[in-house]
Amino acid sequence: MNAGVGTELPQLSIEITPTFVVSTAIATRDFQDVHHDRDAAVARGSKDIFVNILTDTGLVQRFVTDWAGPEALIRSIRIRLGVPCYAYDTLTFTGRVTGRDGADADIAVTGTGGLGDHVSGTVRVTLPGGPA
Amino acid sequence: MRGIEEAAKHIAAQGESRARLARDPVNQAMVNNWVEALGDGNPAYTDPEFARGSVHGGLVAPPAMAQVWTMNGLHGTRADDDPLGAMMSVLDEAGYTSVVATDSEQTYHRYLRHGEHVAASTRLEGVVGPKRTALGEGWFVTTRTTWSVAGEPVAEMMFRVLKFRPAGEPAPAPDPAAVLRPVISRDTEFFWAGTRVGELRIQRWGGGTLRHPPGPVAPNGDLAAKPDHVVANGTGTVYSYVVHHHPKVPGKRPPFVVALVELDEGVRMLGELLDAGPEDVYIGLPVEVSFVRVDDELTLPAWKVRS
Amino acid sequence: MTLPGKAAIAGIGATEFSKDSGRSELRLAAEAVSAALADAGLKPSDVDGLVTFTMDGNAEIAVARELGIPELSFFSRVHYGGGAAAATVQQAAMAVATGVADVVVAYRAFNERSGHRFGQVSGAAAQQVNTSGVDNAFHYPMGLATPAATVAMVAQRYLHTYGATSEDFGRVAVVDREHAATNPNAWFFGQPITLAEHQASRWVAEPLHLLDCCQESDGGVALVVTSTERARDLPRPPAVIAAAAQGSGPDQYIMTSYYRDDLAALPEMGVVGGQLWRQAGITQADVDVAVLYDHFTPYVLMQLEELGFCGRGEAKDFVRDGALGLDGALPLNPHGGQLGEAYIHGMNGIAEAVRQIRGSAVNQVGGVRHVLVTAGTGVPTSGLVLAAS
Repeated sequence: MNAGVGTELPQLSIEITPTFVVSTAIATRDFQDVHHDRDAAVARGSKDIFVNILTDTGLVQRFVTDWAGPEALIRSIRIRLGVPCYAYDTLTFTGRVTGRDGADADIAVTGTGGLGDHVSGTVRVTLPGGPA
Repeated sequence: MRGIEEAAKHIAAQGESRARLARDPVNQAMVNNWVEALGDGNPAYTDPEFARGSVHGGLVAPPAMAQVWTMNGLHGTRADDDPLGAMMSVLDEAGYTSVVATDSEQTYHRYLRHGEHVAASTRLEGVVGPKRTALGEGWFVTTRTTWSVAGEPVAEMMFRVLKFRPAGEPAPAPDPAAVLRPVISRDTEFFWAGTRVGELRIQRWGGGTLRHPPGPVAPNGDLAAKPDHVVANGTGTVYSYVVHHHPKVPGKRPPFVVALVELDEGVRMLGELLDAGPEDVYIGLPVEVSFVRVDDELTLPAWKVRS
Repeated sequence: MTLPGKAAIAGIGATEFSKDSGRSELRLAAEAVSAALADAGLKPSDVDGLVTFTMDGNAEIAVARELGIPELSFFSRVHYGGGAAAATVQQAAMAVATGVADVVVAYRAFNERSGHRFGQVSGAAAQQVNTSGVDNAFHYPMGLATPAATVAMVAQRYLHTYGATSEDFGRVAVVDREHAATNPNAWFFGQPITLAEHQASRWVAEPLHLLDCCQESDGGVALVVTSTERARDLPRPPAVIAAAAQGSGPDQYIMTSYYRDDLAALPEMGVVGGQLWRQAGITQADVDVAVLYDHFTPYVLMQLEELGFCGRGEAKDFVRDGALGLDGALPLNPHGGQLGEAYIHGMNGIAEAVRQIRGSAVNQVGGVRHVLVTAGTGVPTSGLVLAAS
């Protein structure tokens, strides 16, 4: 696998349907109403229900392991949230290798929706084939 | 404000909360729900045969689920020594009633296996504020959580939320259809992304030289240089200003004041001065940034008189 | 090869100046060019070059078609709004001096009052998809969206820095209107104003009163440029192009050069001025008439400083003792300028400079040898020195 510094990861686009927002919120055991009740979300000043942060961490992880494969070991995930990702948006992840240290690689990841950057961060992963 | 800071100090001094056990041990059913919802096809989580032959030597849970195991759940309540809960109560009482997560940094010491029962303990790391943000004035609350299995730390997390006071009587939002929308280029995109999240961003070159308005080439002409940005403190003084009367400007009600402000960082920036009439504005007037949300895509920087 | 002296303005032409021409901009352009050719004693078939502003709505080929100009070997446009005015003549002169063309007509025609008004907020300007649109993103959405307001921002700082007053701006308007009052072609013919009237006029964008702002006008002006040698054989005395220059300054923007160290200055006009004095081989003392671009009065004071007629911040004193009158040390805009005669994007000022050289102006200054003309301010700009043959 080519994973030198500068390597771009294959893009991942996810349709953020209301079902996606709700099912991921429940699967991460986050029952805040803004993630499943549109009326409540609107009453709290949001445009619609929106993706929760535990799901963002999970999606960033999936984006990296989709590329690095099931033998890769995720060491850390640091994310920062930007604009909200509401239902009916499309979230597109892009990433590139920004650092290598032996088998470890640092991947900068950005998830962009219609409003701009929703999530950005760095994942440290130990790639297969190297010293674990 | 002093009260909030003192309460934060007090809560932080109590250190880590008692370890709180997850409702369920790590189990395949919850993992299945999670990978289905997120669309994660990694066989290390679901295919026993593959997992046995892999680097993991058996089925593992997605590391990003660490926090999931110890969530309070639908009818769960916070532990009485939970420092995040305590800090939220203090801020609720001070009128900062809304909350939004901003940062998460998770470190995984190892992957979790089915049957392991994790426990979480949390301490308050810091409370910073009050800060002006696009959402309203608020405080950033940072906690650190450690997950352990039988006393062995398996994962850690720094978690930051913004606890904010929703802008009470905000200036009437300008009609999005009327506002003259900015043309945004690759070189200026970061500025507008910043205003959307309540940050006044100034382009920075070579780690030091600030430039506004931003552009694609370093002021010293170095084509190899790449810019980043600093987030302005948001304070400055009026360098010059206009009181606009005629003709009509879309989205504005005359007379209104537009001020060229010299920011503390040394660059000048234009914006409407929202809360000063023609008689109150003068060159040298101290101001601070304010963010006028037009719609999801556009937030304009503006100024308010610094008190 | 050098430019000074090689070319001359041999003909000038204009439509009437109005608030509603009642005809198309192309018709205005055709009338102005036709009048300029007649004034020069030339025919459309003599023309082989046309120059205008990028802002002009009339393509060179459209003007050529209407007038029956058979072939063009030179056509060019100059950008930056009114900053283009003198530069169209520079383009024409360069084409003539290099033998690229023999007879080049520079023109500008618009229905700026009855049609698209520059003084209003232009969504199209705000949203143009190019670097200027990106520049405009940092002031249009914030409500700084008209030419007057962009000038007012600089004017406010100028007042603060140099202790000038609104009355100092007003003195420029009073002089322009005084000159227009005796010019039958001026919109404000017979309508002089007092300083008190200036002060009492409504605010447009503080610190600018209505009477600090030029008119909005319909009309067209054209100028025929040919070699000085050929011009000598034509009916009118040539107005020799002794100097022609363009200029932009450090950290230049269109109307919003707000990020320079010194806000209360027009360094782009300094760039123009330096070239003009060098090319023409004259000094400020040799200027008999100054036609300074006057869309807004504060920039007239600042031009006097940039061009070296007085020191930085001293224009308020320079204009106080009648220096700008027809009998003053530096007669300003004898036609009434754009505040008094008409706003034809600076081109009517060049025509006035030609008349002063010819000795045929309605408000003629005595013994004119050199006339200085400047183009739009606050933008990349241009200037000319015209001289008697």
